[in-house]
Amino acid sequence: MKSSLLFNIATLSYLTAMVLYISYLAFRKKGVGLTASVVTYFGFGVQTVALLRRWWESYQMDIGRVPLSNLYESLVFFTWSTVLIYLIVEYHYKTRVFGAFVLPVAFLALAFINVAGISSDITPLVPALKSNWLFYHVLVSFLGYAAFGVAFAVCLIFLLTDMTDRGSLLNLSAALGTLIVLTPLGYALSSMGGSAKTIFWIGLGVLFLAWVVYLAVAGAGNKKQVYLFWSLCVTLSVGLLIAMGVDYLLFRSIASAESFQKHMFESTFLNPSVFVRFTAWAAVVMMFALVWSQGMKLKNKFKQYNLSPDLLEEITYKMIAVGWPLLTGGIITGAVWANSAWGTYWSWDPKETWSLITWFIYAIYLHSRYVRGWKGTQMAVIAALGFLSVIFTYLGVNLVLSGLHSYGGMN
Amino acid sequence: MEKQRGIIEIVTEKVWKFFSSVKLAVILLIILAIVSVVGTVIQQNEAPEKYLQEYSQSTIDIFEILGFFDMYHTWWFVLLLFLLTANLAVCTLERFPHTWKIVTTPIKPIEEDDLKALLFKKEVTLKGGMDKAEARAAQTLAAHRFRFSESRGKGTVQLITQKGVFSRFGVYITHVSILLVFIGALIGAFFGFKGFLNLPEGTARKIVYLRNEPLFNKILSSLGIAESSTQWSPEAGMPFMPLGFNVQCDNFDVEYYVNPAGLPTGMPSEYHSTLSVFDMNGQKILDKRIRVNDPLTYHGITFYQSSYGAIPDVPGKVFLNIRQKNAADKGDVVVIDLGKSTYVPSIDRTIKFLGFASYGMRNPSSGQVVLYRSENDEYINPAVQLEVYKGTKPIYKTEILKIDQGAPSLPENYTISFIHYGGTRYTGLQVTKDPGVWVVYIGFILLCIGPIIAFFGSHKKLWVRIQDRKGQMTVTVAGSANKNRLGFEREFNKIVDEIAK
Repeated sequence: MKSSLLFNIATLSYLTAMVLYISYLAFRKKGVGLTASVVTYFGFGVQTVALLRRWWESYQMDIGRVPLSNLYESLVFFTWSTVLIYLIVEYHYKTRVFGAFVLPVAFLALAFINVAGISSDITPLVPALKSNWLFYHVLVSFLGYAAFGVAFAVCLIFLLTDMTDRGSLLNLSAALGTLIVLTPLGYALSSMGGSAKTIFWIGLGVLFLAWVVYLAVAGAGNKKQVYLFWSLCVTLSVGLLIAMGVDYLLFRSIASAESFQKHMFESTFLNPSVFVRFTAWAAVVMMFALVWSQGMKLKNKFKQYNLSPDLLEEITYKMIAVGWPLLTGGIITGAVWANSAWGTYWSWDPKETWSLITWFIYAIYLHSRYVRGWKGTQMAVIAALGFLSVIFTYLGVNLVLSGLHSYGGMN
Repeated sequence: MEKQRGIIEIVTEKVWKFFSSVKLAVILLIILAIVSVVGTVIQQNEAPEKYLQEYSQSTIDIFEILGFFDMYHTWWFVLLLFLLTANLAVCTLERFPHTWKIVTTPIKPIEEDDLKALLFKKEVTLKGGMDKAEARAAQTLAAHRFRFSESRGKGTVQLITQKGVFSRFGVYITHVSILLVFIGALIGAFFGFKGFLNLPEGTARKIVYLRNEPLFNKILSSLGIAESSTQWSPEAGMPFMPLGFNVQCDNFDVEYYVNPAGLPTGMPSEYHSTLSVFDMNGQKILDKRIRVNDPLTYHGITFYQSSYGAIPDVPGKVFLNIRQKNAADKGDVVVIDLGKSTYVPSIDRTIKFLGFASYGMRNPSSGQVVLYRSENDEYINPAVQLEVYKGTKPIYKTEILKIDQGAPSLPENYTISFIHYGGTRYTGLQVTKDPGVWVVYIGFILLCIGPIIAFFGSHKKLWVRIQDRKGQMTVTVAGSANKNRLGFEREFNKIVDEIAK
């Protein structure tokens, strides 16, 4: 059996498991949950074999390299690590509730690859990537990302169950108002190019961070704001996946990472047509409103499962305690590798810097329990922010910012 | 005098307190995380023209003042890093003695008052004598790998034990490792340098151009204490310094992946240079073929394969291997300049090097070779055109591809293999010296170990007190753990169950 066929079987298993986990969440039937687990174990096993098989295939082709280096392989490996970490959590904490959140991510990432036709060819490595460190670097980083991913899902559940009410429509309108004012401003300034664009993005970033810092400091006292943050996190993660999915569908012929970078979001938010752009943004705004208005129903669903806040907090903490040393290891192996390739272990290129920013954010999380007055809500906000930073490190930097990691060859 | 000292003391204490708070650490981490974003949005260290394309002059002026174009080296960013380091150091010094005391103080028998403060405690009653209860408790503790000591009182025995004391050091290992990385980076900045050298094939150099001078050297020379070891090169627009030896590029080449038909694709698989080191008297010391990810180090200075480029308008030379058919030896290597001829005694022929092409294509059926120029003139599938003379009489012309390696049969009884075409390119070397890198690496190793000990180790204490109450043994089990309380709770309950069984 070829590895691609095995990958397809794994994808189908994750789809089935996803449906089962969601039904389990909705109907609380024990048998359904058990079946979901079995299917996930099966899919995971098949995917493991597929990864090994692909490794072997590369040797058959005389290229002989670890299957961890291009966009296709890194997405597959990310999925694999996420499912692995999830299965450990499921086994350890004896709860299947989180499957309904983790499995969709696993399935979407794999489906994404298939639909998009991201080149699954085993391509040879450029000289800079020919290093034993590549394997350790990617392995450790992705396991870390996966642990953070599970922490993200759990801390969002924590934030949701922690909410008392969603607040009046005034909150939503204020948030939507901000979005509606900022978006055209962003477009207008971006089209002017250069300084205005950069200043706008820096300004927006600082504004967002100021808001998050406010939530982290005073979050427990203003849960309605935290609920807005929660809605934003959910909208962002789901919206990003959908927007990229649409991109892939429309540009499926363009498979190389380089052109993918060029066309990122061109089918939606950056479409030349004003109408399409407007529709895309309107869809995001509507999704935000939908998430905001429906979140409380989801909360009631969770209530049936008697998930104690302590347990949710503990899982979040544990996952970050697992992820942070792995991220540290990822940064270190990257640094050692860079030193053997370029003679500098740290050069502040965007990818490095963003992984350091992520590292800082989780370091804040880990220390925040020793700061007086910081409790679950604030810590969960930081944990969520950490994963947004992970997403940016993983995708945003490769796609948006340029640097050594765009693999542009030498120099 | 008395009063002044008081003020100094107060200030020192305040500064110390300021630096010893976790709050400061969190605030610094928040600030660092936020400002670091800026340098990833604005491209760092680009040429001024590039910034002018992107930004207006007034924006450039503002960014310039804020140092946004080389943000990670501005005084304020470095200051933030220094503050974080000072904070780490002070926190460590402040808290370590306390931890040391906990670790070195032997665990004492528990008193009735202490019991109240403990989170985990349970009481069970056992039948049978004191000895039996004690044996049971001892057996259970041993089964859970707790090494205990005993303390006997009147009608009471206590088994006292602790595990994982070392885990209390995890956080210090982590913090010290970060300090080490920082110290190593400082050593590198003060005593190391980063530079580059573009070495044309076949030439040697004894200097290196510097992107970053050693700070220590810069400070000493600006203070007039010592003469600077660097000099300014007006034509390069940057400083250079002597290496103390000569480094020569014997050979540079790019290898390409081949497709299933055995033809090179345009995708490079390896860049490599053969470098030789000579001392100042011209004595050869060593040579090494360096590749990306595999540099050459000599006297603490490391040469990395970093780039390459063409030297315009330089005639190259071809290296050929000429070998009699069926001969046992490896043949002769002949070097011919472009457009020149050389007499080869072993075959009694004169070979003229007519031309070179970066991409030669052989028609599989006719065997004809067409010479092309590949994109950017990369030597993807290089070919040479040669003319062979007997005396002054031309016999034949031929084109030889590098991939042929003696394969195409020539009209006469020998083979000519095209080994290398050189002299037309330079190898771009990154040259660095970093005496601090080992300190950084030790920091890295500790940074891998520290968090694992800190997060997954736990200092557990257990007391088993057995009291004889009129023939009934009252066993009180109490315990504490500084981490992973849920996990400890499970273990604790198990131990109690096993004793009660």
